[in-house]
Amino acid sequence: MTALEAVSVYLPPTRVSVESLAGPLGLTEMQVKLFRRFHGLKQVGRDADASVYDLLMKAAAGLEELRGQEHRVRYVLYARTMPVITPYPVNPLHEVCRALGLGHALAFTVTHQSCASGLLAIDMAGRLLAADTAGPASNGDGDAGSGPLALVLSGEKAFTREAQMFADTTVFGEGASACLVSAYGVRDRLLAYASNVRGEFDSATGENDARLQREYRPSLAAVMRQALDEAGLTLDDIRVVLPHNVNLVTWQRMCLLLGFPRDRVLLDNIPTSGHVFCADVFANYKTACERGLLEPGDRYLAAAVGAGGGATFAAMVFEH
Amino acid sequence: MTAQETGLDGEFRQQVVDTMITVLTRLLDRAEPVTEDMRLMEELGLSSTLGLELLLELEDQLLILIDVELMDQEKVATVGDMATFVADHSRPG
Repeated sequence: MTALEAVSVYLPPTRVSVESLAGPLGLTEMQVKLFRRFHGLKQVGRDADASVYDLLMKAAAGLEELRGQEHRVRYVLYARTMPVITPYPVNPLHEVCRALGLGHALAFTVTHQSCASGLLAIDMAGRLLAADTAGPASNGDGDAGSGPLALVLSGEKAFTREAQMFADTTVFGEGASACLVSAYGVRDRLLAYASNVRGEFDSATGENDARLQREYRPSLAAVMRQALDEAGLTLDDIRVVLPHNVNLVTWQRMCLLLGFPRDRVLLDNIPTSGHVFCADVFANYKTACERGLLEPGDRYLAAAVGAGGGATFAAMVFEH
Repeated sequence: MTAQETGLDGEFRQQVVDTMITVLTRLLDRAEPVTEDMRLMEELGLSSTLGLELLLELEDQLLILIDVELMDQEKVATVGDMATFVADHSRPG
């Protein structure tokens, strides 16, 4: 069992239009129109003065549930889309741990599943914590108040062209998330996690790019159904889908493929925030809570695709 | 209002076909002729991204808005299938 104890997200208040990125990114007029008209990507967040450390700290600052509980944090996982984001010896993860009073925790980075690394990190955190404890009964109260915790961070800077857009498909926005995970908590319990790593879809060679485009949605649908099967549920049981923010048209077509109502996929953040690396599903979770879309007992599904050095299709089913 | 409802279906659909052939020939830099029965992905090698670019060009040239979110790619296999979809799922832009 894995549970989300608390989630905090930082999205920069400053937004820049896709049109303003055309010059720096060398986008044609057609590409800009494509992003805006069909992909629904109109603006992305940018925090020009913030470093990676600053972004992560701004997300962690909103995690009130961490205050006074630092001693319970055993692991800090930093889920990243890109494997390398700062020049040696800068290490924002360790700097954040020291600043948050988490220098005692085992801290490491989770990469190589691109934008699906966030879901992998949640699963890893829960399994590491579960392996450290005898089970929910060992501490008497689930473990909501006393058991060990893990902090899962995500968030990146859109430094380079490759970090600002992906192959006519998406535009990345800056932002960060911080998520407190427990093994046996009672809030937002993870019911199932499914992922499918497809190493043959390596964008470095470009050999299978056309195949990836063809198989993208069926592969994501398959992994979503696999997670639902493992949870003993069907799509009808799902109150809301929290997507990765790749673009609108992909999710509109996913809904056609799945036979799932579009108004139950939280697409609100795509036009204003873009694809915030691994933080999308956490940002969408916060939006769903703020909009009152999740009642206690509701089941929801988080889905993400990481594409780049191979492709990973991942889905998680939770109970709120 | 859809193209069918305006009663322009046949004429408008042919206009879509003609425009598609012109745009596809240019987008794909193709020397051989493009015909209505050709399969978009398998024969013409049209990617999802180029498919969206094609739809955007159709919107611009025919001054329409296409309900792309309703397009089930599995049911739009050929040039003709896409023209039928566009004729049935577009409105003046």
